[in-house]
Amino acid sequence: MSFKLNGVEIEDTFAEGFGMWGTRLIITAASRKWANTAAAEMTGFATSVIACDCEAGVEAEIPPEESPDGRPGTAVMVFGFSAKKLATSLLNRLGQCVLTCPTTAVFNGLPEEMADAMIDVGKSVRFFGDGYQVKMRMGDGWEARQRFWRIPVMEGEFLVEEKVGAKKAVAGGNFLVMGETEAATLEASERAIEAIHTVPYVITPFPGGLCRSGSKVGSTYAFLRASTNTPFCPAIKHSLKDSQVPEGVNSVLEVILNGLDEPSVKKAMGVGIEAATKVEGVKWITAVNFGGKLGKYQLHLKDCVGGG
Amino acid sequence: MKKLILVPKEVTAIPVEAEVISPTVIAGRTLDEVQRLNVYQGKVKLTLADHFDVTGEVAETPAEQIIVVDGDAPHVKYMGAAMDAGRLVVKRDAGMHTGSQMTGGELTVKGSAADWAGAEMKGGVLRIEGDAGHLLGAAYRGSSEGMTGGCIVVGGGVGSEAASFMRRGMIVVKGDTAPFTGVHMNGGEILVFGRAGKRLGAQAKGNGGFMACFGGVEELLPTYMYDTTYSPIFMRLYLRQLAETLNVEEALRYLDKPLKRYRGDLAVGGNAEILIAEP
Repeated sequence: MSFKLNGVEIEDTFAEGFGMWGTRLIITAASRKWANTAAAEMTGFATSVIACDCEAGVEAEIPPEESPDGRPGTAVMVFGFSAKKLATSLLNRLGQCVLTCPTTAVFNGLPEEMADAMIDVGKSVRFFGDGYQVKMRMGDGWEARQRFWRIPVMEGEFLVEEKVGAKKAVAGGNFLVMGETEAATLEASERAIEAIHTVPYVITPFPGGLCRSGSKVGSTYAFLRASTNTPFCPAIKHSLKDSQVPEGVNSVLEVILNGLDEPSVKKAMGVGIEAATKVEGVKWITAVNFGGKLGKYQLHLKDCVGGG
Repeated sequence: MKKLILVPKEVTAIPVEAEVISPTVIAGRTLDEVQRLNVYQGKVKLTLADHFDVTGEVAETPAEQIIVVDGDAPHVKYMGAAMDAGRLVVKRDAGMHTGSQMTGGELTVKGSAADWAGAEMKGGVLRIEGDAGHLLGAAYRGSSEGMTGGCIVVGGGVGSEAASFMRRGMIVVKGDTAPFTGVHMNGGEILVFGRAGKRLGAQAKGNGGFMACFGGVEELLPTYMYDTTYSPIFMRLYLRQLAETLNVEEALRYLDKPLKRYRGDLAVGGNAEILIAEP
C-alpha cells in the first residue's frame, strides 16, 4: 500500500521510534566559529547508541540577540537510554569538549517546566575549579531563580549553568529516500535535512543528518549484532530474494532523527518527506521498522505528511 | 488591579509609623476598615484616616491591590514593610524603613527614601527613583543577615552601610555610594554605576557575592588583592538583566568593558569580589 505526494510514492508504513532521555544545551562563545566548534566537538561520535555512549547533534544556531548572554550560540541535544546514562555522557562531553574550548559558556536549553528531571551539570563540573569555583545566583526572590558556576580556567572563566533539563524523548524517527541516481537521492536528502532543521527540539545525529549504511538487527556472523540493511541495498537488489528496493531505484539514504517529543519528530519527518519529494528523480519514500515489536512509537508516514 | 489612593494631610515633625500601608494588610478589608487601621505617632495611637485622605477600591487579594501614596511622606515610616504581593507607589519622598522585610510585590518611590529602606528584604522589587538614605537593604542591628532576596534599584545615590550583612539578592545604584557599602557582605550582588565610597566591602566574606563598580572607587581597602583584568561572561548576564528587566539602560555600555578583579576582604579570610570597570 502506498500513496503519492508530489508525484512520489510514499509507502503506507511507519518508522519505529524508541523511548530515550533527551536534553538540550545552549553553548555560547565569542564568535559563531567557536560556538559551532564546541558544539561539533561535543556532538562528535554520537550517531547511534549501537556503538556510541549517546546520540547527539546540533539543533540550531542561536543568534546573539536570542542567546542568554548576547553572544552567538549553538543549541545541541544529547540523548541517552536513561537519565543516568545521559548525565554521564553529558558530563564527559561537556568536560572534554566544551570546558576546553576557548570563550564558551553553557546554558540550560530545556526549561524546568518542560523537563521531567533536572541533571546536575555545573554542580559536577565545578570541582574542576579546585576550590576556586564561585557559585552564582540570579533572581533570588524577584525573578526566575537561576544558578551558575564560574570556574577559573587559564583563558579566563568558564560559566556553566548548575542544572539542565532532561525529559523522556523519542529516538529513531526515520525515513528512506529512494532515488533514481545517487545525485538525486543525495540532493533530496539534503533538502529534507534543511527542512527538518526548521523544526525545534529535533536533531539528526548522523553525518550531515544522513545514514547511507542503514543497519538491520543481526548478521550471518555470530559475533556481529547488526549488519548492513541488505533489503535496501540497490547494489544487490537482484541477488537478494527479499530485496525491498523498487525498480528504477539505484540509491537509498536514510534520514534519522531524534526529538524531545513525538509531535516534534512527526512534524520534522513530515516536512523532511515533503521537501525530499520535490526533487526530481526521487521515486519512493519508506521507513524502517521492526514490525512494531521493538519500539514504543509508531510514526506513520501518512500521519507525518498529513499533519497527523 | 484595584487602586487605593492615600493623600497625606500634612508632613508632621513627629514621624508616623504606618506599616499598614501595604497591599498585604489592606487587601480583603472594606474601605471603612482600611480607614480605621491603626498607625502610631510617637506613643499616640491614631487611625490611617487621621493622617491620610483614603479613597479608591480595595482588592480581595494583595496581588490585585495597588496603593498610591499621592503626596510627600518623608515622615511616614514602614510603608510597604513586609509586603508580599501587589504594588505600592509613593509619588514623592518616603520615610524610614520603607519596604523593610518585604517578601514580594513591587514598591516604587518616585522621590527619595530615608534610612533603612529595604532593610532585611527577602523578595520583590524596590525601586527608589531618587536617593536612598543610610543602611539601604541592611541588616538590623544585632542581626547577622541583611538582604536575603529581592532587588533594590536606586536612581540616585545611597548613604553609608548599604547592603550590610547582605546574603542574597541584588542592589543596583545608579549614583554614588557612601562609605561601607557591602560591609560584612556574605553573598548577593551590588552594582554601582556611580562612584563607590571608601571601605567598600569591609569584612566581606564572599560566598559568591560581588560588588561591581562601573564609575570607579574612591579608595580600595588594602585587604583586597588584585587578581586580573578581564571581561567575565557572567557580568554580561547581569548587565543584560538590568537593561531588559529593570530598565537600567546604561548597563549595556559596560557589556564588554574590562573589569579589574580584586578579592577579599583578606582581613576576615574573605572571598568576595570587587570588580572595577576600566575607565
